[in-house]
Amino acid sequence: MGPRKLAAFGWAALGGACLVACASSSAPDRQGEPAGAASVPICSAGDGLGAAPLRRLTRFEYGRTLAELVGADPSVANALPPDEKSLGFDGMANAYSVSTLHASKYLEVAEGVASTLVADGARLAAFANCDPGADDACVEPFVRAFGRRAYRRTLTSEEVASMLALYAATATPDAAAGVRAVITAMLQAPQFLYRPEPALDAQEWGTALASRLSFLIVGAAPDADLLGAAEAGDLDDPAGLLTQADRLLASPRAGETFAHFVNEWWELETLPSVQKDQSLYRTWTKATPGELALETRAFIDAAWSGTPSLGTLLGAPVTYVDRTLAAFYGLAPVASDGFVAVALDPTRAAGLLTQGSFLAVHAKANQTSPVHRGKFVREKLLCDPPSPPPPDIVVRPPTVDPRLSTRERFAAHTANPKCTGCHAMMDPIGFLFENYDAVGRWRDMDGGQPVDASGSLDGTDVDGALDGVPSLAKRLLESEQVRECVARQWFRYAFGRDATTSADTCTVGALASELARTRGDLRAVIRATVEQELFRSQRPAEVAP
Amino acid sequence: MIPLRGSRVSRRALLASAAGAAVGLPWLEAFAPRHAAAAVAIPKRFVVMFAPNGLVPAWTPSGSERDFELSPILAPLAPYQSDLVVIRGLYQEGGGGDGHQNGMGGMLTGATLNAGPFGGQQAPPAGWASGPSVDQRIADVIGGETKLRSLELGVQVGEADNWGRMCYRAADQPLPPEDDPAAVYARVFAELHTDPAILAAERARQKSILDAVSGEYTRIAQSLGSADKQRLDAHLDAVRDIELRLTRGGNVTGAHCSDPVVPALDHDDNDAFPDVGALQIDLLSMAFACDITRVASLQWSRSVSQTRFTWLGIDEAHHDLSHLGDDDAVAQDKLSRIEGWYASQLATLIAKLKAIPEGDGSVLDNTIIVFCNELAKGNTHSRQDAGYVLAGRGGGALETGRFLRYDGNTPHNGLLISLLNAMDVPDQKFGNPEWSSGPLSGLV
Repeated sequence: MGPRKLAAFGWAALGGACLVACASSSAPDRQGEPAGAASVPICSAGDGLGAAPLRRLTRFEYGRTLAELVGADPSVANALPPDEKSLGFDGMANAYSVSTLHASKYLEVAEGVASTLVADGARLAAFANCDPGADDACVEPFVRAFGRRAYRRTLTSEEVASMLALYAATATPDAAAGVRAVITAMLQAPQFLYRPEPALDAQEWGTALASRLSFLIVGAAPDADLLGAAEAGDLDDPAGLLTQADRLLASPRAGETFAHFVNEWWELETLPSVQKDQSLYRTWTKATPGELALETRAFIDAAWSGTPSLGTLLGAPVTYVDRTLAAFYGLAPVASDGFVAVALDPTRAAGLLTQGSFLAVHAKANQTSPVHRGKFVREKLLCDPPSPPPPDIVVRPPTVDPRLSTRERFAAHTANPKCTGCHAMMDPIGFLFENYDAVGRWRDMDGGQPVDASGSLDGTDVDGALDGVPSLAKRLLESEQVRECVARQWFRYAFGRDATTSADTCTVGALASELARTRGDLRAVIRATVEQELFRSQRPAEVAP
Repeated sequence: MIPLRGSRVSRRALLASAAGAAVGLPWLEAFAPRHAAAAVAIPKRFVVMFAPNGLVPAWTPSGSERDFELSPILAPLAPYQSDLVVIRGLYQEGGGGDGHQNGMGGMLTGATLNAGPFGGQQAPPAGWASGPSVDQRIADVIGGETKLRSLELGVQVGEADNWGRMCYRAADQPLPPEDDPAAVYARVFAELHTDPAILAAERARQKSILDAVSGEYTRIAQSLGSADKQRLDAHLDAVRDIELRLTRGGNVTGAHCSDPVVPALDHDDNDAFPDVGALQIDLLSMAFACDITRVASLQWSRSVSQTRFTWLGIDEAHHDLSHLGDDDAVAQDKLSRIEGWYASQLATLIAKLKAIPEGDGSVLDNTIIVFCNELAKGNTHSRQDAGYVLAGRGGGALETGRFLRYDGNTPHNGLLISLLNAMDVPDQKFGNPEWSSGPLSGLV
């Protein structure tokens, strides 16, 4: 691994300095390797790896895979029913369901994609260097070549025979219709829509790993290079796997996939449907959610192009705005077109935590929500979800009273003993955000009074009194609990399940250690994932006898 | 040929074709004489219409069973009072998950949610319902003759989780409703515009494709462990459903079958909610008129819906409002207007079905519509004293023009069983056996 850029952005030191300082007090990782050590921590779980569940392509992966395979618009995936989300992520293997509507939509999209491909002679001919629509002799080579990309491995003789039989049944009188049928069928096959892996076979394991690697890093099926490397046995040793991982990490597709992960983790996927009371927030329009999403995307892309560190995501006092958003936030006008980087006041701004996208999603239509903002930090950054309210409580946000501050209106949470326990875990964190209104703009006054943005972290490994979001960000970046939590969020996304077994939690621990070792570098965590035994060797359950 | 949805260009083309085709129905006439010639028994039909977030106390009618007055909330239904059975006072059973989750999951299944991946409030994470929903049990019996076994339509249902699913083919098999009217049109009605000869060839081709696809599912499933195999087996069943649909032919028939018009609109936009709903009601009604399906559902939003009824001058999100207290007169007024608006949507659906002549009466006479909600009361999440409106006579099985008041604790499984019986499904048990003791007294 090459030398890391310590501070692609000046503020990376914010997280970095703290992490070093805290390293001595943090627990050693599962291999007894202290944080800050020179090599990537790896969890070796031996025989106790457990079984990997069957995963299905998410809409994100399906659209991107079709785009790369046949040049389709990735938005064709929007025709499918939405993915089930669990723990915030769309690829959880225990959550997806299947229905006749799913099957009809897979058919419908496959028909459309196949028609487009068959009409594109050059693209069609590129698979096997011949035209299966014009030349009978080309059909079998095409089935093998297209199938290898669609199924992400070499087809078995039965698979080839099955598609040739379909061709024979559908190619009269129009050979192109037969080719279309073959493509349509393969794009609905389980080898394409799902990610079946061999339980025992050693031969096929290389291509199965290639798929794991590719979906993990670029959110799509393996490209020709990766498949070739897998079939040549290059992925059988960790170094070969890492070589391919680094190649994929360097592609723009990796940045898009990282942004997808961050969006799900930060609960930003609901942003397009967020609505605000426009009588209270006059600068909010129907276009604002889209603008805020672009701001966050530009921020994540910039982080990815440097060092995508936790310090940057949680702490960077910089954002990206265009003319419209500069006016929305009340920032100095932007001179050029498009989104540009603007430096923000480090006593006010802290990465994603102070962006309109995050703040608007975690707020009500007509008021801020210390509860939702605090709950997010608890759940998604500390992995310590508060217990839900008792069943006999009528849950409702207090009515907006222009004479009272949010803090005063939420006082019932501390007055009512039934509420105090859990709200003490959320509200004092949420109050730190009070300088940001329900659409994410800075405010000095609330309810006719100066904003009081004091609060605290309690029940964590970094407890203490705080004031404002930057102080929260700084404290979170010192926390081992936060590193463990971020590693756990990534684990859920990467493996499509929660970490439950000892091999899982051991792997989360290794990834958390990698975060500590690399001063919070999330790209290093993705890379380290590939080196984990769980990633390299966990097989699916064997066939039931 | 099935138009591809997704890219802007093809979507626009699809909408253009929908609009253009509304002018004439080139192939429809071909079917009409065949229908006219055959002495076809009048079919029965079943519809579920769902609205979320509970009812306010003022929802309940007053008076006695046969002499009752609808509440102001239900007043939009007054023109059809003689076609209704209003029910209040059942206990809407359910379990597993939080109040909204188990209300949604139990509403049509009478069963609990299995443990699963969706973390709710006040409860361990829950999954999908542990049994089929009543509409699907009915479809088991009457769904086999039509092109579609059943048709699930949604209005801004959004995310896929157990707050957003009420129809279940079987345990753990939720049926996602389709939110986009243009996509529904393409899937359900586009064949109206295809030359029958071409359509027949296309079906034969699709059948060959799906045969091959089925073969792949069978083969791959054999190589998997039991849990993973179940996944692919379920997918295989879904593929076979479509194959079956092709072999059934599913010719569109019906003297009053015409082509719905689906104009372009952003179906996810909050303010388009009424327009999307109106289109879905049109599509549903026409699917009945054309005998494309006999079992349908229309799901307005989802449990914990945050729809903002801006067209009623209400800016707050629905679920937030639903948590305000009974003593909050402003909130009660807004919630009453929201519930009244949903009642007016039911009135629209009733009017549409009543406007389609059939036999000596209308399609409504041969239909049962069930209007339901996942909760009895929004601000307490209570499922006690739940309210329902039934509309239509189910071909004479249901005596309408009545208001039935129960004690608040009668398990609603009885209602589900009565509905099955009214639809000629003779089951005497449905859902969780603990709550299932025969039909609801006094209904059928």
